Amino acid sequence: MKSHVLGIDFGSTTAKVVILDEDGNTVASCVSQKGAVSDEGVRAALRGAFEQAGINLSAVVRVVSTGYGRRMLDIADRTITEITCHARGARALVPEARLVIDIGGQDSKVIALDRNGLVARFAMNDRCAAGTGKFLEVLARAVNVELDDMGAEALKAEETVAITSMCATFAETEVISLLAEGRPKQVILAGVHQSIASRTVGLVGRVGKHDPIVMTGGVAQNIAAVHFLGKALETRLIIPTGAQIAGALGAALFALDDLRSASKVKRDDDDAVEGKLEQLLADPQRCTPACGKKETPVTFKA
Amino acid sequence: MSAIITPEQRILGAEPPIAKKANRLQATKLNNQMVNAYWEDLFRAKEEGRLVCWTEGIQLNPILQAADIAWCHGEAAAALLAARKESAAPQAHMETLGYDRELCSYARTHIGCGVMNQSSTVEAQTLLNVDARTLGSRIPAPDMIISAYPFCSTGQQWDNELYRTFGKKVPIFNISMDWVWGNKSSAKYMSGPEFREKVAFLKKQLQDCVRFIEGITGKPYDWDRLSEIMKYTKRAAELRLEAMRLCKARPSPASFFEWTNSIAPVNFLPGGPEIVHYFEQKKAEIESRIAQGIGSVPVEKYRLWWDGIMNWNKIGWLSDKFAGYDACMVAGRYTHMGFWQEPQVIDLRDPLDGMAQNYITCPISISAPQVIEKIIEHCEYYEIDGLILHGARTCRAFSYPQYMIADAVGKRLGLPVAMFEGDMVDETFYKDEVVSSRVEAMLEAIDASRARMR
Amino acid sequence: MNTVLDKFAQAAQRPYEHVKAWKQERGVKAVGTLPMHFPAEIIHATGALPVIVQEMPDAITSGGGAMYPFFCGYTRSIVDQVTEDQLGFLDAIMFTDHCVQLLSAADVIRISRPETTIHFHQLIASLRQPWSLESSVKTLRELVADLEEVLGVVVTEEALRHSISVFNENRRLIRDLYQMRRTGQIQLRASQMQHIVKSSMVMDKETHNALLRELIASLKTSTAPRSDTVAIYVSGHLCHAPRPEILDLIEECGATIVDDDLYTGYRYVSTDVDAGIGDPIVALATAYIRKNDNVPCPTRIDPEVDWEEWLLGAVDRCGAQGLVVLLVKFCEPHYFAYPRIKAAFERNDVPHLMIETEHDGVAMENVRTKVESFVEMIKVQRAARAVAA
Repeated sequence: MKSHVLGIDFGSTTAKVVILDEDGNTVASCVSQKGAVSDEGVRAALRGAFEQAGINLSAVVRVVSTGYGRRMLDIADRTITEITCHARGARALVPEARLVIDIGGQDSKVIALDRNGLVARFAMNDRCAAGTGKFLEVLARAVNVELDDMGAEALKAEETVAITSMCATFAETEVISLLAEGRPKQVILAGVHQSIASRTVGLVGRVGKHDPIVMTGGVAQNIAAVHFLGKALETRLIIPTGAQIAGALGAALFALDDLRSASKVKRDDDDAVEGKLEQLLADPQRCTPACGKKETPVTFKA
Repeated sequence: MSAIITPEQRILGAEPPIAKKANRLQATKLNNQMVNAYWEDLFRAKEEGRLVCWTEGIQLNPILQAADIAWCHGEAAAALLAARKESAAPQAHMETLGYDRELCSYARTHIGCGVMNQSSTVEAQTLLNVDARTLGSRIPAPDMIISAYPFCSTGQQWDNELYRTFGKKVPIFNISMDWVWGNKSSAKYMSGPEFREKVAFLKKQLQDCVRFIEGITGKPYDWDRLSEIMKYTKRAAELRLEAMRLCKARPSPASFFEWTNSIAPVNFLPGGPEIVHYFEQKKAEIESRIAQGIGSVPVEKYRLWWDGIMNWNKIGWLSDKFAGYDACMVAGRYTHMGFWQEPQVIDLRDPLDGMAQNYITCPISISAPQVIEKIIEHCEYYEIDGLILHGARTCRAFSYPQYMIADAVGKRLGLPVAMFEGDMVDETFYKDEVVSSRVEAMLEAIDASRARMR
Repeated sequence: MNTVLDKFAQAAQRPYEHVKAWKQERGVKAVGTLPMHFPAEIIHATGALPVIVQEMPDAITSGGGAMYPFFCGYTRSIVDQVTEDQLGFLDAIMFTDHCVQLLSAADVIRISRPETTIHFHQLIASLRQPWSLESSVKTLRELVADLEEVLGVVVTEEALRHSISVFNENRRLIRDLYQMRRTGQIQLRASQMQHIVKSSMVMDKETHNALLRELIASLKTSTAPRSDTVAIYVSGHLCHAPRPEILDLIEECGATIVDDDLYTGYRYVSTDVDAGIGDPIVALATAYIRKNDNVPCPTRIDPEVDWEEWLLGAVDRCGAQGLVVLLVKFCEPHYFAYPRIKAAFERNDVPHLMIETEHDGVAMENVRTKVESFVEMIKVQRAARAVAA
């Protein structure tokens, strides 16, 4: 049986799992939406991934975790930050990438890659939610639009309104007063997306703009965010298939490096991975694999 | 990269419609003509072979004018860009370069112009996407910088940053303006040994500055011309003060907003008969309004004081907004306590000493205890009902004493206050919802206290 | 060794308790000073204990009603300390620096607590004017005269010379520690170094010197190479201490801080006062004017020194592989300087990371991710260079 490696991106709102075989083929990728750093979400994503891969727990010999909750997972052999992992994953998906914009639930980051695909510089938002998925979430609620629909709604607007508050809380107040003035929701939503694009441009400015630009992370699925950001950067953003799992893929690729550099010798504690996975999955709060949203496995060259 | 707002998109400002309009003075149009002429003249300075000096803070323009040097006053440039809605571009450039938004927005806007200026090559324009037609890039690059900032260390650092932005190639003269703190009880407003000592130190540096100017122009300095210029400046300043004092009348014939719109002649316009004529006109119009009982707002129910620097991109809007509340902003610290505010001490035979005295007693250069006493004097004189404290977020020099001012006027005069944050030229810090609710609460407090009095 | 380090840590963590106990024990006066360039030798020469007023980690309470939240954490903290009546043990407060936020805080203090003796003698900030030295000498003479009056003492030249030599020794001993740490002979954590320097700001200098000598004698030096951590230089925090938790966090992420230009760090001990200059006031003024050559201060106006170029050299000299800039939110001089530092480090391909700190706390997880990523980036780049070579 082939050895496998696993990458987990334990984010603030989602958990993502990618499993690669020892030849670097993706055999599973799975996303679970489970809310704030939830164990349950990790289990759902793991179950989904194992089902998709059709392998036993014992087949996985290396695990690398990344994301906001990366250190909460004792199944991981090591942890690597989401910045390093997103860069690696994005580069695997789009080999020519020179800049990675990753907008996640709590964080947004911009990573410049050097010619060899290594992280050259990065910038990340500070404590404030401005320019993150959270900002969109708060304002979707304020406008009373489903998060998944807000992008499409925003693009229907023929004009836009300036939302000047950087802070999500103040922006919410601002949006409410715009609603009170009778501004159409779509116009306000366009303004909200413009605002997030504007914050991201600020982050891009901190590392410098380098084309081609790849966008990863959950917000890459929001068409209006992509539209306004592309416009502001005066470029077309590349949204690869599997943009959301780029971090987990990067983590899995680092796990694969570890496996390969371990000179193919089975480690004493290889079985430990299986044991830890078993423990994690054996939680009484049973969660079926269906909780996990399966991603179409993506192809790339490891 | 460009600023996020593209021209083809119609931008709806978040400013709800206004019910009443302020009754603007006709003379202000003259001010606008002079201001436009000044900037157009400055934009041509290089072509006409004149030297250009960049300076901030105090009004050094008479000293430069006497040496035939054109000047760009940093705050004036930033305010101009803000008033014409062109401050976003230089501010965005600065943010891209890594300058934080919490840094003095005057400095950010002005240095942004410096950057735009320095990068007026085709390559740089492509890189920075600088539109050569923007006002910011029309401001001519400096041939010299004179740094003289009262109280505020950020002002001095702003000049230092400009000096470095231009590759340390532009000569700079650094004047240190000491703060009159008052270690001894003998230190009073414009008097006492500490004050005299600081004035003497400043005067000496101004004399050295003149030698610096002579070194650059290669010509002996024309002291007679300085006296001549200061004659007009002094007269204009006197007329301005007289006209302002007339606004004690009810209803007040002019507002703080009008005086804000009349800062240029006493801040950066050339000293000459035009500025004297301007304030004569303004004073005559005010006198005529008093005779006819015409107020600055259609209905004057409340008389207010504005403490803080103006939101330069909101003057007209705020002026109408308060008119809508039946409130006249009668006076304010920025306009009534600065800009050749003590012209009587200027001796035209030896103007530097009196100029130094004015420079050192501007409203950010006098300490909080003196600021408070002065504000209380003004509030009593103008019969003020309440205070608006506009905390300019990136001008800490101006905003820091405001809690103390609020406390003192509350305790000593029993006046209510409304405090809110804003900024001088970065409008992203201004929140209309907050302003409205605080101002309305204050006006309600005034109503309540009047009801009790009845 | 631990007992000495514990003494430093206690004084650094509870500076005012230390000062109060010292006052009680010795029956001396304590004079508070505000940062950054105050020549505390002068206070020492009066027989009083000089104490640099520190930022305290407590949440801002009543002080929040005296100062806007858009002022730096240090100034908001000291205002809060005053409105919370925590500085009453100081017999006077003296300051010489012109930072607008510091002046603002001082003015708020004066109005909030009129009974406080708080005096200002402004040192010229523009260091290269022909009159800079003369002006500084004049200011310091006025400061001496004022202190004599406030404390009712006479300051002799002899006392000043003695104080200068005590302070020079303190600086030299701490610099020795820095040098041993740079070369890897000793392993002191950055937070321990902070305790050493910060305690020096509030402790009696002779006592501090004795403790330093004891510490140095007890430290085991080693020539073993550093472990597989990334050597980091930390810069910033120009007038008060970064929270030790942040320094610890950096060192928990696979980095070792080997040098710094922090105020509560090398900046504080960079420059000795030349005992060879006959007039001690002239010597103090000269040290002030020349300090910028040793560690540039962006709050001073000095066309001849570029902080960013100096930092590149400093990072190189101590063998650090990267720079972490700790930037205090709302610190305008640092806001002005940072883009230039960023540009210089990018131009020279030296990794750097900026972390903004706030009085009200930083999001530690966010900072951890940044620092870990930074360390990973340096390691990966280092490995790639090794492969290429």
